[in-house]
Amino acid sequence: MKKLVILLTTLFLLLPATLMAEDFLGAPVMPGGKILQKTGSRLEISVPKTYDQVLAYYRNALKKFKDIRIRDWSESIHIEDDSNRPWHSITISKQAGNETQITIIKDNWTWIVGTLILRFVGVFVVLMILFVGMKCSGYIISRSVARLEDKKAAVKT
Amino acid sequence: MTFDEILDMLYGIMHTTGVYNFDPKVIVMWAIASAFIYLAIVKKFEPLLLLPIGFGIFIVNFPLVPLMGYVHGRPQLLEAFYHYGLEWEIIPCVIFLGLGAMTDFGPLIANPKTLLIGAGAQLGVFITFTGTILAGFTLKEAASVGIIGGADGPTTVYLTTMLAPQLLGANALAAYSYMAMVPLIQPPIMRLLTTPAERKIRMRQLRPVSRKEKILFPLVTAAIIALLVPSVVPLMGMFMLGNVMKESGVVGRLTETAQGPLMNIVTIFLGVSVGATMYADKFLSWKPLFIFGLGLIDFGVCTVGGILTAKFMNLFLKEKINPLIGSAGVSAVPMSARVSELEGLRADKTNHLLMHAMGPNLAGVIGSAAAAGMFIAMFH
Repeated sequence: MKKLVILLTTLFLLLPATLMAEDFLGAPVMPGGKILQKTGSRLEISVPKTYDQVLAYYRNALKKFKDIRIRDWSESIHIEDDSNRPWHSITISKQAGNETQITIIKDNWTWIVGTLILRFVGVFVVLMILFVGMKCSGYIISRSVARLEDKKAAVKT
Repeated sequence: MTFDEILDMLYGIMHTTGVYNFDPKVIVMWAIASAFIYLAIVKKFEPLLLLPIGFGIFIVNFPLVPLMGYVHGRPQLLEAFYHYGLEWEIIPCVIFLGLGAMTDFGPLIANPKTLLIGAGAQLGVFITFTGTILAGFTLKEAASVGIIGGADGPTTVYLTTMLAPQLLGANALAAYSYMAMVPLIQPPIMRLLTTPAERKIRMRQLRPVSRKEKILFPLVTAAIIALLVPSVVPLMGMFMLGNVMKESGVVGRLTETAQGPLMNIVTIFLGVSVGATMYADKFLSWKPLFIFGLGLIDFGVCTVGGILTAKFMNLFLKEKINPLIGSAGVSAVPMSARVSELEGLRADKTNHLLMHAMGPNLAGVIGSAAAAGMFIAMFH
């Protein structure tokens, strides 16, 4: 009987916690927030917590998630999912005070294609710069070689 | 000793044998291993790598063999090769050192605009990336599969070890298999995308390149790569070190070691440890098959990218480029350059394109390393 009471009490205590654990497209949503904007692909909420508290919450909530990358930007912390989960990123704004804004974005092809095109162009840029570097160094060296040869020819004559 | 005790003892001995622990799945892996050993020995397809890879697959797929595990925290033989050679990212970089010591950048220095063909030939890498994501792979896995089309074995191994080590076996196998099959994959695409007149374009003989230029090139390239794509410097830095050793002419013994014995030693370790990652439980799924299928498309698109870049450049150039050298933008050195030469000779028996094709071929090495660097910067 005693055990049953303990079990029921534990379940009773855990139940609200389970019910409160919300998510948006599989990304954890901090409870107690006010929804600022919600569409099928974006959720923007404001929570009455400091930036550090929110960050600590997400660090803990995402502890077991694999392929998560946290980027520290000047105005926000950007948590990005590199696996194939339905959400793409969670952005936590860095603002003073007890209100912190959290934005969760759905995984989207615009980002993937955009970043790919940029990187493909990036390969061109790298090789283009190398091309310019080679052209310049080639020009300088061939000129210096030509000068040396002219000097040698002048000495001979 | 009673009869039961003898039976128990025999039973205990049986337990330690592979026969007792036999899993029929390994038969499939033996067949795969045999196929690669056959390709290496009979067809001479990349034998230096496919033979040790094939043997690695074969030997690791026997029950209870103490090769790819840990005992009392110490790695077993092939696990040690894999751990220290690949997980520590040493072998691909040492191979690049040897490749650098073998490479003559002269054709690329004489005609630097072919660098752009090497960039264009990375098209497949990025298109395959998209296709792989559509198939449900993670972004990191997609990046490691995409790089196969760059046709650069060490770069594929390096990137896969960093981003998706679980796909190392399949990716390396696909990369090296398709590299061996470049003479079969590329010619139909080359003929399809070029007109007979384009195939007959003659290119001016390349200017001689001075020793100073050849010494300066690896230093300038290493500096530019280090500034723009620092994440790939372990590979490119070693590549350029090998090259500057060769071109300097003052460290002959080191150059010989790098391009000979050292390269051969690490090739054995690379092959056998890549093969050893492919045990039945891990390998027999739809993913490796998909990677093989997509790898072929990847190679094809990279070839298309190189040829189209050459054709696009021709719109602006006074001295036209023979677009057949575009296919050499995939970095299978020097096989794809040889394919360009052969296709050029088919169109015109006196038109030799080999030296011209070496330019984009070497640019492809730098291009695929740059693409890998982009992926590393993105996901690592």
